[in-house]
Order: sequence, then C-alpha cells, then structure tokens
Amino acid sequence: MDASAKTAYLTKEELAPAKPKLLSHPSAKTGLMGWLTTVDHKKIGFLYGFFALIFFLVGGFEALLIRTQLMVPNNDVLTAQQYNTLFTMHGTTMIFLAVMPLSSAFFNFIMPLQIGARDVAFPRLNAFSLWTFVAGAIILNIGWFLPTATHGAPDGGWFGYAPLTSKQFIPKHSIDYWVMGIQLLGVASIAASLNFIVTIINLRAPGMTMMRLPVFVWMTLITSFLIILSFPAITIALVELMMDRNFQTSFFEVSGGGMPILWQHLFWVFGHPEVYILILPAMGIISEILPTFARKPLFGYPIVVFSGACIGFLGFAVWSHHMFTTGLGTVATAAFSLATMAIAVPTGVKIFNWIGTLWGGHIVMRTPMLFALGFVWMFMMGGMSGIMHAAAPADSQQQDSYFVIAHFHYVLIGGSIFALLAGLHYWFPLMFGRKVSEFWGKLSFWVIFVGFNVTFFPMHFLGLNGMPRRTFTYDPNLGWNTANFIATMGSYVLGVGMFIYFAVLTYTFFKGERVKKDYWDGRTLEWSIDNPPPEYNFRVIPTVHARDGWWYEKHHRAEIEKEKSAHAQAEEEHGGIHMPFGSIWPFVTSVGLLVGAVGITYFDSDWSPGIHAKLGVSLVGGGIMFIGIYFWSLEGNEGYHLHLDQDGRPIADEPHAKH
Amino acid sequence: MPNFFPNLARGGRALAALAGLLLLSGCDVNFWRMDGHQSTIVVAGPVAREQLHVFYVTVWVTLFIFVVVGAVLAYATFKFRARNEVDEHAEPPPQGHGNPFIELGLIGASVLALVIIAVPTLSAIWSTHDVPEAERKNAYEITATGYQWWFRFEYPAELAALDAAGAKAPLVTGNELVIPAGRPVRIHLRTVDVIHSFWVPKLAGKVDMIPNRANFLWLQADQPGYFWGQCAEYCGDSHAVMRFRVIALAEKEFSAWLEQQESTARTVTAPVADAAAPRPQVAALRSFRQNESGVSAKFDLDPLAGWQAKQLPEANENAALIGQGRQLFAAKTCSACHTVRGHGAMGVQGPDLTHVGARSTIAAGLIENNAEQLRRWIRDPESVKPGNKMAKAYRENKISVSDEEQVAIVAYLESLK
Repeated sequence: MDASAKTAYLTKEELAPAKPKLLSHPSAKTGLMGWLTTVDHKKIGFLYGFFALIFFLVGGFEALLIRTQLMVPNNDVLTAQQYNTLFTMHGTTMIFLAVMPLSSAFFNFIMPLQIGARDVAFPRLNAFSLWTFVAGAIILNIGWFLPTATHGAPDGGWFGYAPLTSKQFIPKHSIDYWVMGIQLLGVASIAASLNFIVTIINLRAPGMTMMRLPVFVWMTLITSFLIILSFPAITIALVELMMDRNFQTSFFEVSGGGMPILWQHLFWVFGHPEVYILILPAMGIISEILPTFARKPLFGYPIVVFSGACIGFLGFAVWSHHMFTTGLGTVATAAFSLATMAIAVPTGVKIFNWIGTLWGGHIVMRTPMLFALGFVWMFMMGGMSGIMHAAAPADSQQQDSYFVIAHFHYVLIGGSIFALLAGLHYWFPLMFGRKVSEFWGKLSFWVIFVGFNVTFFPMHFLGLNGMPRRTFTYDPNLGWNTANFIATMGSYVLGVGMFIYFAVLTYTFFKGERVKKDYWDGRTLEWSIDNPPPEYNFRVIPTVHARDGWWYEKHHRAEIEKEKSAHAQAEEEHGGIHMPFGSIWPFVTSVGLLVGAVGITYFDSDWSPGIHAKLGVSLVGGGIMFIGIYFWSLEGNEGYHLHLDQDGRPIADEPHAKH
Repeated sequence: MPNFFPNLARGGRALAALAGLLLLSGCDVNFWRMDGHQSTIVVAGPVAREQLHVFYVTVWVTLFIFVVVGAVLAYATFKFRARNEVDEHAEPPPQGHGNPFIELGLIGASVLALVIIAVPTLSAIWSTHDVPEAERKNAYEITATGYQWWFRFEYPAELAALDAAGAKAPLVTGNELVIPAGRPVRIHLRTVDVIHSFWVPKLAGKVDMIPNRANFLWLQADQPGYFWGQCAEYCGDSHAVMRFRVIALAEKEFSAWLEQQESTARTVTAPVADAAAPRPQVAALRSFRQNESGVSAKFDLDPLAGWQAKQLPEANENAALIGQGRQLFAAKTCSACHTVRGHGAMGVQGPDLTHVGARSTIAAGLIENNAEQLRRWIRDPESVKPGNKMAKAYRENKISVSDEEQVAIVAYLESLK
C-alpha cells in the first residue's frame, strides 16, 4: 500500500501497529484472488449464477438422456443402473444446484440494490455460503468420476426413501455422497438465508418501510425464513441416515426396530416448503417484471405480499400430501387434503393480481415480459393439476405416475425456470450494461415454450394411462408409445430452445449492445444506479418516499436532487463510503468442509485401512475449517472508506490520485 | 407409382410423415383416449370408479376456472398492449394500486370452487379407505408382500397341502393374484425389504408396502377379467420391471382354481430316467436385446382366455424330459430358494413355483410364460431383470445351465399346472 493510497483508506486501525502479514486484508479486485476473496454481493451473485447455469446445463443433459431412453418402448440406450442414477441426479441437480442457486444469485445481486444497501449484512458469511455451495455441488457429483461398482453417483432417488438408502440395499458410497452433498448445501443455504434476513431487516435505506419493499425482496425474505425453518428437518434426517450407514444405529433400519416412515415425514417437512423455496422467488421476479412492462404499479401490493407469506406459512402444513399412499388413515388424509386445497387460494390471488396489473396498462411486449406471461399461463396449468392432486382419492391414482411428472414440471419449468429466465433477461442490462437482442430473445422464448409444452403436456395422458415414474423401460402394449415419442421429440426442441437462449446470453455478455442506465424505465431502486453497478452501488444512499421508489424519484427530480446532495455531504463528513475488506478465510473454511466431507464419504468404515483414512482426512478437513474460522474471526470485520470524484469513480482506485 | 396425394401441401406431407412415424413407433395414435391396460380412466371396479369420479370433479372445476381466468388474461394482454413504438413511449397509464372489493370477491369465488371439490373428496376418502360396512363380512382377505422385485400373495383362509402326508399351510402364490370377481377383496400390504407400492390402476389407486407398517387396501372387480398391475414406488435397480397381474374369476371358477392350487405339484409319471442315456441335442436359444419385450399382441386380444389356457396341461408333454428337469431343479439348487410343494423344494427366497406352469407370466409379470421366454429367463436372469437375486445366486454359486438343461427345466416348470 503506497502512501497516496493510504490517504484514501482511512481506517483507524491503520494508525495502530501493522498487523501480521497473514492477517492483512487482501486487496485484489481482479484475477483469481479477486474472485476467491471477494465479499462483493454482486460478484458473489454472479458466481452463484455462473455455477447454477452450468449445473442447469448438466441437469438438462441428464434429462435429455432420460427422454432418449424412453423415446421408444424397451429401449436399451441406458442400463437400469444408469437410468436410476440419472433420474436421481437430474432431480437433485435441478433443485439444489440449478434453481435454488439461481434464485440465490438474484437474491444476492438484486435484493441489496432494491433496498438501497451497499452490501449484505455479513459480506464474508455470504462468501462462505457461496463456496460451501460449491463444495456441496462437488461432493454430490464426485461419484460420476469414481468406479460405479463401489462408488458411483447417487442412485436412491432425489427423495432418498429409507430403507432403500441403507447399507443393506445400497452398500456403495453413492448414497454417502448424496447425504453429505445435501448436508453441505443445507449449511450454505441456511447461512445465506440468515444473511438475507438480517440484511432486509437492518440495511433498508431510509424511508424503505416494510410495506414499501419491492415484492421480490418480500419473497426473498419469506423464502429465507422457509429455508432456515425447513432445512433443519432434512439436516436431522440426513444425520440419522449417516449414522445408520456408518455407525449401525437404527433410526430407519427395520431390523433394529427403526421406522422407515419417519424418513418420509422428516423429508417432506423439508421437501414441501422446498417447493415454495423454488417458486416464491419466481413469483417475486414476476411481480417485478409485470409492473415494469405494464407501466403501472402492481395491483393489490399488500395482498400479493400477504398471500406470499400465507403460502409460506401453509407450506409447512401440507407435507403429508406427498404421502397420501402411505396409509395415513382417513382423518390425516382429509386434513392434509383440505390444507393443500387451501393453498390454492393465496396462489390464485397472485394470479388475479398479476392480471389486474396488466389491466389498464400499456403493455410493452419485450422478451422478459414474454417469459413472464408464459410463466403466468404455465403456472396456472401446473396449479390446476396441483388441485387435482390435492383431492386425495384422485391422487392415489396419480401419485408416482407421469401425471405427477407433468404437474411439477409445469410448476418448476413453466413456473420457476420461466421466471428465472425472464429475470436474467430483465436484469441483464443492469448487471452487465448490455442488452440481449429482442429477436433472438423472443425466438428462444417461443422455441422453449413450444418444446416445453410438447414435452410435458402428453405426460398428463401417460400418467392417467397408468405409466409409473422412475421406470427405465416399458412394454409396447400399454398405450404409452406415441405420447412418449412426442414427449422425447419435445424435449429435443426444448433443448434447442435452451441452447439458443444461453448462446445468445453468452454472446451478449461479451459483445451485446451497450445500453444506458434504467433501460426498461424501471420502478424500483436498482434501476437508479449506473450499469454495470459500481462496487459501492449507490453514490448516495437513497431516501425512499414511495413504494416504487425510483419511479417516484423520476417524477419528483428537483426535490430528490436537493435531498441527495445534502446526504452526500453528510456522508463525506463521516469519512466517505464505507466498504468491507475482502477475505480469503471464508473460502478456506469451505475448503475445510469439502475435505472433511470427502473424508467422511469416500472411505470405508471398516477397520484398516478404511477407518484410518476416513478419520485422518476428516480431521485434516476439520483442521482446515478451524483455521479458516479462527483467522476469519481474528482478521476483524473493519472495512475501508471510499471517496468518489465527480463521475462516481473511486479516487483510491487511481494510483496517482491526490486527495 | 401413382401419386395418391397430388394436391397435398408440403405441410400436409410433413404431417403425414409425422403420423407415419408415430404409427411406426407403436400404433397407439389414440393415446388421448387413455384406455390402455393400466388406465385410470377406463376402470373396472367401484374403488377406481369413485377415485375417477373425484378426478372428474377436479377436472371440470379447474377447467372452468382455467377458461374464465385464461380468457380474462388473454383479453387483458391483447387489449392493453402497446401497439407501436410511439405507444410504447406514451405517457404512462394511471398508476392505480388495486381494488380491495375485487380481491375479496375473487377470494370468495376461489373458496367456493374449492368447496365444490372438497365435498366429494372427503366423501371418497372414507369410502375408498375400507370395504363398506355392510359388505365387510363378505370381504375376501389376501396378504400381498413385496420383495425386490416381485410380489408374493398369501391366502390366509385357504390351506394348501404341503406334502403327501397331509401337512397343510396357507396357500401361497407369486406375481399373479387371483381374486373372486364381484366381491370386495381386502389386501394386506407387507414388505420384506424396501418400500414397494401395490397398484392395479383399473381396480384401485395405489397403497404403499412399508416396513413396520400394517397397510391395506380394498378393491373389487365388477366382472371376471385380467388386469395389469405395477409396483409404483422406486425400490431399486429393477423397479421398472416389478409388475404383476390380477385375474378376477367368477365365484365357481375361483373355487375350482383354489382347489387346483391347494393340491401339491403335479407329477408327470415318467419311465425311470436313465442317467446314462444320451440327451437330445438342443439348439441354443436366440439372443435377446437388453430390455427386449417379452409380451405378444396375440395374448392381449383375450388375456383371460390366454390365462385359462395355461391351466390345462401342455400338449405332447415329454415325460422323460420333465423328469430330467425335476432332477436338475434340485441339482442346480433352484429348490434352495423356490418352493414346489410335494416335490421336496422348500425355499422361500423366491416365488412359490408349485403351480408356475399355470401362470400366464413369469419374472413378476414381465414376460409371457412360454417355453422361449422361460428359457430366456433361466439362461440369464440378469439380462431380464438387472440386479435380481437369482442372477446373484448364479454368480455366487457358479451355477451355469447348459442348453440341454435349460430345455429340461423349462419342460418341468411348464408341467407344473
């Protein structure tokens, strides 16, 4: 740090004796070290999105293999074992490694911008969440690269029903990777969610009351609460399963008096809220896009927010509708059936309000709007088949059939994925300062839309005609041939659509047309800043006067300008813009977790050499994690101050700047 | 060759080509009728009918909502869209925030629609749960047990002869469940390993077989008939090929079937087999593709008649070959896992084979029970049903069955009517 920079980095700690080198703060902003040590919520959001999209492509490839196997009856492209591994990993990947982290990417990147904050509440914890997510993803997928007979990728289904997952029935390590992988992803998700909750509650800009929060922020908040309340259930279930597999306990082990049904309750107490963890962020994104492109505020904001909370709350009371066929008995079945129907009310309310938003608007039909409208249509269809499942007697025919596959792909692709694709197009100009070509964007939408419906609509017929899910083959005499063939053709079209979408996005990232700020004539605060956003986000923390803060600002310029310059001066008097230091220790901690998880999962538990290697590697991992946490605490949480010139460039970043 | 479709547009030809392709792929272009063997729409019993009734209620209510809401959405999208560049940049519309009365009205309407669904749902939850009170005494009880990957059926009320001495135990069969038609059947669901699920779509929705849990379901077939069933819960490698059949018989035929089943295995009297006699040369069985279908369209034309035909002894049985097969059945340790009552085989790991020749399918409803398919199974069970215990036993005990031995064992098993 040279003398001129020192004037810019005005921390009072620097007046104290110099710290040991190990504890000095990393200052790299670019290059590998820049990414590994970053605590900037936008870079972390970008990395979340980057990894999520890679896994989205992996999961999509797995789906195409599955559809290829089912194209014709008695096909033999895949073995039974490969097929079972693929559907397990397709589900696990899409839920935990694609949709959740992609939502998380938006939470990270957009949410602080929407509430007028300069970062999340705990920037280093945020980095830890990211790297722990990556560690979990590695553990989940590591089996692909190991011998299938003794290791292999997870093959017990994404729901991992006991006792199939016990050592007796699947002795190889595939299940251990699944257990540990999801465990790490749970750690990452819970840490991230706590961070988001604290951020939303504490770091809102002045005037940003709870009832002025953009709906996407509300949905981030509700989703985060769902995560911290639901993940403990699966955490416990996974710990119990791990103990059963490694230490001969009997939580689910029938021979020892265990209860396999217990797994299902614990899993779905997590698993059903998980469904809303996947869809609520999507609803939030849609509630941002529709008002922007209809050019009027969201219809019935308080009711949209309240219904979101309602869905989250009711989401904890319906888990057993995944278990209607497990012999719950009449009363429990009736109760869960009615509770599930009740969820249709707040969900329907959202759809009414989205239509109300369009009513009387000036709808500008751009790519994000197309995806958003596609979302409303497809989500409606998924919702309708959802009501059909809620009627338990009808569900006993549909459960575990292709009807269910059709249903949840309508809500997860037609719902979550369409919304996330809409969000990528919508916020792309903000994130990267470039915009996607309308022609290619719209083309990709229509190809995806057609491919999606051709793939999944016939599955309703397949399910009602008795085709069970998770089957690697079927006979030609059951009336399933044509629908399966159409579905497979549709999946190829869907694949082409996704390819166009991501090819165009990649091209735009490097070479797309540059655009000015507020490209869509937005309504919320994230559009008030330059694109791509500077590291400090807001030159002056905005003061919010209305629900659509930036819209208000655009229509009350003079008043806002005056207020802003006063605030800027006040902040400068306080030492300038306060920014957190980067840190490598969250990364080191996650590496420790990764190494420990490898130790626990890869090695056998029997005596020599298994248990020694297992203990050794696990302890080394634990040691690395401990070192990471130790230095993380020791390095301190101070930051530095930033001063900006007239154009908003940080003076400190200029090597010869005089102050 | 004359051109039959001279005036078809290119699009039409493409459609024709697509239709041709679909026909090639299996001839069920009417898939939207959903009338296959495992249909939940074309049903054959009161339980499935009640479940279908609830389904139709949900379909009509949601379809109505979908049409109304969809129409409004489509209208709003069309009516309020910006028509050109100028329109897009026009002054923004009035910034209205909503209308609580519309909201409340719509919430009320949604609740009403759900009540319409909830009432038949609740009524059906109770009526499909157990045999109606009035008929409970008349219900026929059977215990079905799931294994990786086949079903065992036990008839607790029927005592079957174990040996010539007269010892008796409840009747046990495998993979083909024979029930009386027109009478409620209560099936107790058990499993010996992982979770399975018992599903005969035309007769009733599924109920799971879960360890440490005493589940049951009830069903009834209106008429005598032949029904397809399948395990509906992922249960490991060969879940997809864990299937079974249900045969419903009129009361009289059912009694006759029980009587036949309760007897010990049929013995075809043969001249004393001469171990030294040269065995006839047997050609090797053709090879089968992985997952190759083992069913025939011919059987499907009248499956019940096909099943009935299996009850009668095969034409021109070779008594000597059958005798050889019976010896091999013991020599190859088949009897360690399978039971053949009266023939000294007492194994319980695999399906009871006492009357296997009278079943229409083998390998858990997967392939038809004929000489070729049975030989395919005995030759290489792993290729038919990946991961199964018989293949494992072959590997662990180094069992191999030559072409001649295959034919003999097949002849023996087919003779077990």
